[in-house]
Amino acid sequence: MPTLKPSQPPVPTIIPVGELRHLTPDEIKPSSNNPRHLFDPDQLLELKKNIGEHGVLVPITVYRAKGQTKFSILDGERRYRCVVELKREGRGGKGGAALTLPANVVEPPTKIAGLLYMFSIHNFREAWELMPTALSLKVVMEELEEHDNRALSKLTGLSDAQIERCKKLLTFPEEFQEMSLDPNPTTRIPSNFWIEALPVLDLATEQIPTISKLGRNRATHKLVDKYRDRKIKSVIHFRRIMEAYELTEEEPATRAKLMRTLEEFFLNPKTETRASFDEFVIDKKKVQNALGACEGFLAQLQRFKLTYTTDDEERANLRRALREVRAYCKSLEQALIGSDDPEVPHD
Amino acid sequence: MWRMIYSFRAAMRFGGYKPKPLTPLSASRWIKQFPKQDRKLAVHLLDNIYYFSEKRTQKILVDQNAALMKRLVNSGLTPKKFIYVSVHDAGSSSPVMLNLLRDAAGLERLGCKFVDCRDSMRLNKTMNEVGVGALIYVDDFIGTGNQFCAERDFAAKSFIGTFSEFLVAPSICEEAYYQIGERGIEAFTGHVHYKAERPLHENSTIFAEEEKERLELVCKGVNNKFGLGYQKMATMVVLYRNAPNTVPAVLRGSLNQTPFFGIFPRTTDLPVRKIG
Repeated sequence: MPTLKPSQPPVPTIIPVGELRHLTPDEIKPSSNNPRHLFDPDQLLELKKNIGEHGVLVPITVYRAKGQTKFSILDGERRYRCVVELKREGRGGKGGAALTLPANVVEPPTKIAGLLYMFSIHNFREAWELMPTALSLKVVMEELEEHDNRALSKLTGLSDAQIERCKKLLTFPEEFQEMSLDPNPTTRIPSNFWIEALPVLDLATEQIPTISKLGRNRATHKLVDKYRDRKIKSVIHFRRIMEAYELTEEEPATRAKLMRTLEEFFLNPKTETRASFDEFVIDKKKVQNALGACEGFLAQLQRFKLTYTTDDEERANLRRALREVRAYCKSLEQALIGSDDPEVPHD
Repeated sequence: MWRMIYSFRAAMRFGGYKPKPLTPLSASRWIKQFPKQDRKLAVHLLDNIYYFSEKRTQKILVDQNAALMKRLVNSGLTPKKFIYVSVHDAGSSSPVMLNLLRDAAGLERLGCKFVDCRDSMRLNKTMNEVGVGALIYVDDFIGTGNQFCAERDFAAKSFIGTFSEFLVAPSICEEAYYQIGERGIEAFTGHVHYKAERPLHENSTIFAEEEKERLELVCKGVNNKFGLGYQKMATMVVLYRNAPNTVPAVLRGSLNQTPFFGIFPRTTDLPVRKIG
């Protein structure tokens, strides 16, 4: 080991300490999060082709959990999956030998190191429920005493927005968090529910005395009951309430009416989100105006009978303007695809 | 005469079946339901049953668990680092097996922890508290492995720390082995139930093809959709507290036990006493 000066202690080596072994896929345990769908199939295919030709050149990193006969992967899940697939296809290594992976066997990771690895897996995963991630983030925040979003983002690879969403989830008491961990998808409350409901709960408990008196937990239960009873058909309908609140900022009478409606919404299990708040958001009027604008625009353009013009410059200008109109219309049309009660998206 | 002898033998072997205890009379009645030419086949089918009495189930659980514990302790883990996990709903076989094992092996006194797989929050907290240890799932019988793996995969989202994973169960089907192994879960079991040892399974040669076809027809008559059990597994494992839904329908009988009377009805096959 190198030393700086004879009097100084040895400089710790930075080369990863580990025993290099050649393991067959059967000796390896995939990540406990079963990342079967983690990776881009095209990229995986490319890697598989490469491994099929040259074998695994860069060692994977594994450890052996206490008591486990198999090695768990810390780094190299994609290489492992490729070798597993090649083996399934009956492909062998060079000279017909069994396919093996060079592996650096290291000590089992600490809890935090393991968690950070798990986050790196989550980042690849689509449709992953946010609540388990939030709970893991909580452990990271507590263990490392780190609450700054940027620092957490750097540690976990989660985006700032994801961390913010996780933090919002963690503001809810455990009894509500558990509802998002329900193994039964039909009774599970999606994590999005809490994120969307949070501003409404804040608003109601801060500004409506009866709801404030009711208490935040009971008010939350009322919303959960409504959601389960399909009186909140989509979690994004909570946004309608907040939109209505913003729109009535300069109309005290309408704002007062809105708050009464919100109170009624919490207290009366039969009231439905859209039926209660649609009147406050001027959706209909906006749509009707847009429909009129479409009809008028088409009628006017048709009246000009502009199938050709002799002025090249003007023609180019008109074509550019029409392209802009087309692009905007296309984006608007795309945005309006689907219904107002979409399937609740999981995080 | 031979029927009486076999009926007595069946009653002796399977007498402790809890949902409906078997008597020589009921065994004889069961055999008599088959066409005359198939009665000996029905008896032969019973000969191929792997019956796990309460005593045998408990012994396997305790023995396998002891072997697992020995390995874990040798690897440096103390029992306080063992988290025993029940899978499936409350009231299903897994929690019952876990209770049986817990009491028989004195796991509580050793300081082991117990969690329900569906209680992700508690599992998360317990794993966080233990940090490094072993997760030990306990169940009675694993058929396809789909249900077990689905529950485990859901719970895995909340895993924290470095844990090795094991499954302790009296019997596991060949089909489940791959799925469980794919997840790196090591099984400790008293019996691996191979396809070849299930007389009505397509891979088995215990019965002649023609005999198999005849019995399959009887099974379909009892239950057209699941004549050979769930996913046509045609398993022959019966545990003292219930028969899995993968057994052939002739063993379970019809719903409410009419018109076909089963020798190993599941609790859900039995008629329910009217309330009020």
